[in-house]
Amino acid sequence: MERYWQIEKVNLKYNIPLHVLVSVLLLLVSPLLMGVANLKAQDTAKVLEMYVALIGIVLLPPVFLPEQDREIRDLVYTKYVNGAVVYLVRILGNGLLLVLLLGAYVGMLAHNGCEFPVGKFFLGTLAEMLFMGGLGLFFYGLCDHLVIGYMAPIVYYITAVGSADKFLKMFYPFSMARDSYGEKIWLFAAAVALLGAGVWRRCRK
Amino acid sequence: MSTTIKIRDLNQYYGKKQALTNINLTIGTGMFGLLGRNGAGKTTLMKVIATLLPKSEGEVSVCGRSTRNAQEVRKIVGYLPQDFSMYPNMTVYEAMDYLGVLSGLNKETRRKRIPKLLEKVNLKDDKRKKVKALSGGMKRRLGIAQAILHNPRVLIVDEPTAGLDPEERVRFRNLLCEIAEERIVILSTHIVGDVEATCEDIAVLDEGRVIYQGTVTDLIAMAEGKVYSAEISKRELERLKKEYIVTSMLTLGNNVMARFLAEKPPFASAKLCEAGVEDAYMYLMYLERGREDVRAIICERM
Amino acid sequence: MLGQLFVKECKLTVKSLIYWVIVLILIFDFSTQLGDMEIERKPKPGQEDYGSRMSRDPELIMKNTLGGLVEEYNRESYITYPIGFMKTVTLDKEDDERIGEILEESTGIATREEAEKVIKAWYTSQREILDQEGKTVESMAMGPMEALQAEPLGNLTYERFGELMDEADKILGGGSDYGKEERENSAREPMTYEEALEEYEVLTEKDRLTGGYARLFSDYMVIFLGILPVFLAVTRGLRDRRAMMQELIYTRESSSFAIMVSRYLSMVVMLTVPVLALSLIPLSKCMSYAQTAGIRTDLLAFVKYTAGWQLPTIMAVTAVGMFLTELTDTAVAVLVQGAWWFVSIFASQGSIGGGNYGWNLVPRHNTEWNWQGFHDGFSQLLANRIFYAAGALILVVLTILVYEQKRKGRFQIRGKILANRKSQSEV
Repeated sequence: MERYWQIEKVNLKYNIPLHVLVSVLLLLVSPLLMGVANLKAQDTAKVLEMYVALIGIVLLPPVFLPEQDREIRDLVYTKYVNGAVVYLVRILGNGLLLVLLLGAYVGMLAHNGCEFPVGKFFLGTLAEMLFMGGLGLFFYGLCDHLVIGYMAPIVYYITAVGSADKFLKMFYPFSMARDSYGEKIWLFAAAVALLGAGVWRRCRK
Repeated sequence: MSTTIKIRDLNQYYGKKQALTNINLTIGTGMFGLLGRNGAGKTTLMKVIATLLPKSEGEVSVCGRSTRNAQEVRKIVGYLPQDFSMYPNMTVYEAMDYLGVLSGLNKETRRKRIPKLLEKVNLKDDKRKKVKALSGGMKRRLGIAQAILHNPRVLIVDEPTAGLDPEERVRFRNLLCEIAEERIVILSTHIVGDVEATCEDIAVLDEGRVIYQGTVTDLIAMAEGKVYSAEISKRELERLKKEYIVTSMLTLGNNVMARFLAEKPPFASAKLCEAGVEDAYMYLMYLERGREDVRAIICERM
Repeated sequence: MLGQLFVKECKLTVKSLIYWVIVLILIFDFSTQLGDMEIERKPKPGQEDYGSRMSRDPELIMKNTLGGLVEEYNRESYITYPIGFMKTVTLDKEDDERIGEILEESTGIATREEAEKVIKAWYTSQREILDQEGKTVESMAMGPMEALQAEPLGNLTYERFGELMDEADKILGGGSDYGKEERENSAREPMTYEEALEEYEVLTEKDRLTGGYARLFSDYMVIFLGILPVFLAVTRGLRDRRAMMQELIYTRESSSFAIMVSRYLSMVVMLTVPVLALSLIPLSKCMSYAQTAGIRTDLLAFVKYTAGWQLPTIMAVTAVGMFLTELTDTAVAVLVQGAWWFVSIFASQGSIGGGNYGWNLVPRHNTEWNWQGFHDGFSQLLANRIFYAAGALILVVLTILVYEQKRKGRFQIRGKILANRKSQSEV
């Protein structure tokens, strides 16, 4: 246990402060861009699904970044801790950060008099965050390229904005805004699969 | 036209830390060795000459061109950094061709010169190989080929033999000597053997200062009469280490054959030896820093 | 020299994975949005419906605008787009009362109950009309019913109406449906055969058919071109470091100008090529229809629009990617451009019909019609496009300066971060 905490401590201290900062900034400027008070459920869902969920892209794909240098990667992989364990600990850690940030944001919305099913929307948004992050992480692992890791979820997002669920079907990210929740379960299942596949792929290379 | 590199009163800082102090050097045609420990400032000095670092104070001119005028200097300098590679998906030939364009060579020249150079560094048969498929030694040789692609008057190579096997290392030194026939070649290394085998003129750097400049022969002459060897018991070795600077030892059963430096003949059984570059280097360090520091250096090297 | 480097860079681009991913996305974008594009036919007399168009009729504008106000007042929540993003505004007591007064002065409706009654009456009558025509709500693609219209009081002048609405807009924090531009665009009216024919003639004669479709094409492509080039630029910028080739290139004779400009040009050109190639499809559709309908098309329309409309966006996004990557040696440009794209797209949501191009990075014109809007907004669009093209060139110059300094060992921001990482990532 202590070992995992060590990995996460290094992660928190050196790898992601900048990404956390970007995420926090993104959330902090949101009241300037859109309404965050007295929203109906549908509008709340829009804010969460179309905006807040984006921090998933910021926080998850960079999990592989510290070992981008092949030499460092070889070094880490020869240590007694399995490379996959390092990544999984980081994913868990960054996932927890997402939970915290999203939790705070959802709390703020509820406090500001938005009317929405708090737990449901919280979990739904989290599923979408994990999916977009997982998509990035998977493609990062597949192509060994952070830029492609960012590109995949961004293109996914643009497709959703542009063509709605025409191509995305059950993976349509903005479903809560149209009062449908089943997609979120698909997204969550896919997120787990993508995160797993991404790590697996990364460690095989 | 001048054919020397002149360095006058060069001081170089990284923030507040001084990396080079009052460097004055004149380097002419042929192989020039820069010897020093890791972190002595060799790479910094080479980067200044190669215009990769802004010099803080002083004057550096390469064949009459000030490094302030970077582009002019780049025309006549070839540089091989310590850590380098090339776009992994390019073939050897493509990588050379790309760098050739960046060196301002026209198509005709590139087509003629690249195969010749690849032959010279023994990569002729690998020209269609991808860069990522090359071994460490092959990559080094490709590195040399790219550095002399534009036929520079000066070639700067930073620790080129690190990580090469002995055979590759010998071949590499010979290649450099060949190139140095008509050029200035500056070779930095922390391996004394490299310098011994190839260079006539050398400079020794320590903590950013030049502590010796001259020929290898003169450096050895400094240590002449100060190198001894003796067969002693392992128990006696500890005492010997305390009093003298032991530069090498060889275990012979219960005894040890130790080679060490001493200003005066130490004891009866010690025999005077012919000094080598390694001994001379150690002696120089000893003069510069005193005994304790040199011990630390020896421990580091052993 | 620059030419040879340019060719080399183009080859490098063609061999990179990211480039082909971008091309695939562009093809995907095109085929999903424009794959089944049909050329508009000439309207025939006796058609049931000729579409609708913006109206300048003050009466209609007042009715529509006030209808919206009645609904939002009744709902006690107002939708605004202060800087492009939807914002739902709920008013405090004082402001709510003032809006009530405004509503009363303009329509005579004094209470929420009254407003509710007006709304109910309107939708009941709308449903009856639909039933009479035998249409069901589902069969209507665009909004099942006409939006609520509210009768202004007889003594309300158009001028006073404007003042009242400006005040309401101010109370709501701007960007509401009651602002000048929004309310003037609120009224649509059905077109007659003559009007439809006239519009068709504008498309085929003034726009020579190809102009309208080139704008529509540009509209769809520019959405993706507002972000995709950054991926290419960042990848290219990071490649030297990734390959540990930086110092080999730094010490070459080539000027920083030649190196950066050749890279920039090659990326911009290589990104424009697939766009031009894709434009051949709608062009050929236009051509084959024009042949049968006897329209003289402009063969170069798509080239002109690609160069004038899309190229400045490609240039700007590529330049942002290149500049930030050289400056920081990280992929931060992706996040920056992502944010910019997000703001641009949402900010242009209200004006996708064309005409209001503003200073948006991604000017929208989501229709083959509206030549008039394009014509009226042309000088704004021109200024916009020149601004981005010039901005891109300035960024390229800055990139050259940064690169030149990096070659001399200054501006090595990343080095420190990396050194830190190397020692710390070993746990």
